[in-house]
Amino acid sequence: MKKLFALILVLAIALIPAAFADAKARTLDEIKESGTLTIGVFSDKKPFGYVDETGEYQGYDVYFARRLAEDLGVELELVSVDAPNRVEYLTSAKVDIILANFTVTPERAEVVDFALPYMKVALGVVSPDAALITDIEGLRGKTLIVSKGTTAETWFTANEPDVNLLKFDTYTETFNALLDGRGDALSTDNTEVLAWAIENPGFTVGIESLGSLDTIAPAVQKGNDTVLAYINEEIEALAAENFFHADYEATLKEVYGDAVDPDNLVVEGGVIE
Amino acid sequence: MSDKPILEVRHLSKNFDANGVLKDVSFAMKEGEVIVVVGPSGCGKSTLLRCINGLERPDGGEILLDGQRIDTGADLVQVRRQVGMVFQSYDLFPHMDVLGNLTLGPVQALKRPKPEVEAEAEQALARVGLAEKAKSLPRQLSGGQKQRVALVRAMLMHPRLLLLDEITAALDPEMVREVLNVVLDLAREGMTMLIVTHEMRFAEAVADRVLFLEGGLVLEEAPPKQFFHHPQTERAQQFLNTFEFDAVR
Amino acid sequence: MQDLAVLFKGNNLARLLGGLGVTLKLSLLSVALSVALGLIVGALMTLKNPVVRAFFRLWLETVRIVPQLVLLFLVYFGLAKAFNIQISGETAAVAVFTFWGAGEMGDLVRGAITSIPVHQRESSAALGLTRGQCWRFVLLPQAARRLVPQAINLATRMIKTTSLVMLIGVVEVLKVGSQIIDAARYDAPQAAVWIYAVVFFLYFLACWPISLVAGRLEKRWA
Repeated sequence: MKKLFALILVLAIALIPAAFADAKARTLDEIKESGTLTIGVFSDKKPFGYVDETGEYQGYDVYFARRLAEDLGVELELVSVDAPNRVEYLTSAKVDIILANFTVTPERAEVVDFALPYMKVALGVVSPDAALITDIEGLRGKTLIVSKGTTAETWFTANEPDVNLLKFDTYTETFNALLDGRGDALSTDNTEVLAWAIENPGFTVGIESLGSLDTIAPAVQKGNDTVLAYINEEIEALAAENFFHADYEATLKEVYGDAVDPDNLVVEGGVIE
Repeated sequence: MSDKPILEVRHLSKNFDANGVLKDVSFAMKEGEVIVVVGPSGCGKSTLLRCINGLERPDGGEILLDGQRIDTGADLVQVRRQVGMVFQSYDLFPHMDVLGNLTLGPVQALKRPKPEVEAEAEQALARVGLAEKAKSLPRQLSGGQKQRVALVRAMLMHPRLLLLDEITAALDPEMVREVLNVVLDLAREGMTMLIVTHEMRFAEAVADRVLFLEGGLVLEEAPPKQFFHHPQTERAQQFLNTFEFDAVR
Repeated sequence: MQDLAVLFKGNNLARLLGGLGVTLKLSLLSVALSVALGLIVGALMTLKNPVVRAFFRLWLETVRIVPQLVLLFLVYFGLAKAFNIQISGETAAVAVFTFWGAGEMGDLVRGAITSIPVHQRESSAALGLTRGQCWRFVLLPQAARRLVPQAINLATRMIKTTSLVMLIGVVEVLKVGSQIIDAARYDAPQAAVWIYAVVFFLYFLACWPISLVAGRLEKRWA
């Protein structure tokens, strides 16, 4: 009886969202009219989206978000999102745009619309110097820490079944888990692990580039063409002033120092060379 | 003492009750009279009392209090304000002290002024030897003390009729006496009481009349001396014999 | 000590307290609504009517079986998707926690009422008290005494569970802690321990007075 009840309930929950059309996202005109652009960003993923000690949002994504609102002539409202629920925020029309280090994948492109890329990354793997892992061979049979809903989780699940994944909900938890020795290594975007290893002596990025080269792009709700067009126009126009290099200087440089060539991360005008 | 009956029960019947069934019970009692109902367990004694007090609806027959039907389920609250009842389990309200237990009914149901009721309650407590327990909580009292308080609580409503349902059955033997003494005092003061008990010596001492109930019928109705020493029916004889013991040797 | 210093950098401490404010606002509002509704729900749960019973059974099983996080997502994202009803994260949180709390509280109230021996009802009836008087003077005061320890347990559980609201965009104390730790992770990677210790202490501060009041009530009624 109880089991049957649980089953019915789970089915009902699963079917409710499927039974109805998604909430319609706001068009560009509606956003202008309201005077506020709502963008979902990370609030605990330095240096892309985080909150500084004065309580202000900062980071590479946030820098761009500010410019998008400014050029549209509206106020900016930032919403704190996490990796697992980024898509939900768009499909339920809670935000107009997601600018949360969102890696473009074919699966995601089925549920959201990506604009032109403004960054490019591959996966990186960081591990303690004492037991440094330098190739994919060395990872098999080991425990790898990943964040739920990230490219790393998807890629390892699909391509490396012999790697044991230890998953956490937030980035903070994943890095803490590596520090606590709860796994042998940690994988996420190489930008992330490179920056982290610089500041954490005793840890090194043994694998700097894994998987295919991915791009990072803003996302809007599927079919929200007016907002998508606006973002693409912006990205193309901003190339003239080398906007994303300026963004890099303002937000990423302090983290990567000279270890990384900006041209290896930054994409101007949406064009990948 | 008027000759008009205070309580009249006519052809009372009640089927399917956890406490036993009643088939056809009739009797009347006059003001100031004490009737003791005896009989084997499950014979319907408790059901009889619960019907009179309105806790159970009879299936047939009539109950009259001062000539008025009281078995219709109407005006139950009014009926209960005239018919007091004390139960087997110590059913004091555990979250109130003794004085609170005693005054709740008169103050809330009868809307009497609290100071007046409290003064009366303290006097009544003193009469049953519990003057110093007014501020105690029920769980600080012994079983016998609790039942004495329960009796006082019922009496403070000044009922026309008091129903006592095996009030000593759950007590340790050494406490039975202190409770029954209170009941004897009430009888001497002329309180009309319908008592269900298994204490045969007490029944003989307190009763004006005894009703012997078995299988939901009144098998015998007699003065106590006659009932206890010369029972007319074989069933009553057998019942009384269960209280006797043969010597081991 | 650089790690501890993170706590006092900028507005960090004030932000943590602000986060605690959000946690307390959400949880106290939900607890208050749950208690008020739970008393009514609990009284209704004691009814014998099969339709009423089935309804509350369904409610109770729902809040017991479905994780609170799923309920939060259903209300926050699901309502938007299905009916285009856009409500704030805080509203969704209070709605879900009240839905949960009122169901659980109702069941506690039902349990407290039905655990009172039937004699209590009968002897108050025998004293000529009306049904209303019986509830007011005899049943509810006794039910309340049985209820307090369990209700306190539920309230503290609700306060702790409010940390889930960070996943629908509400920034409460634990999320602020997480933000502070992240912002400092290059400069003071060990700050996490200190920040979590402070968050722990703040939760303790929030729940302690409740336990204190409960302890006092229990002692007075024991």
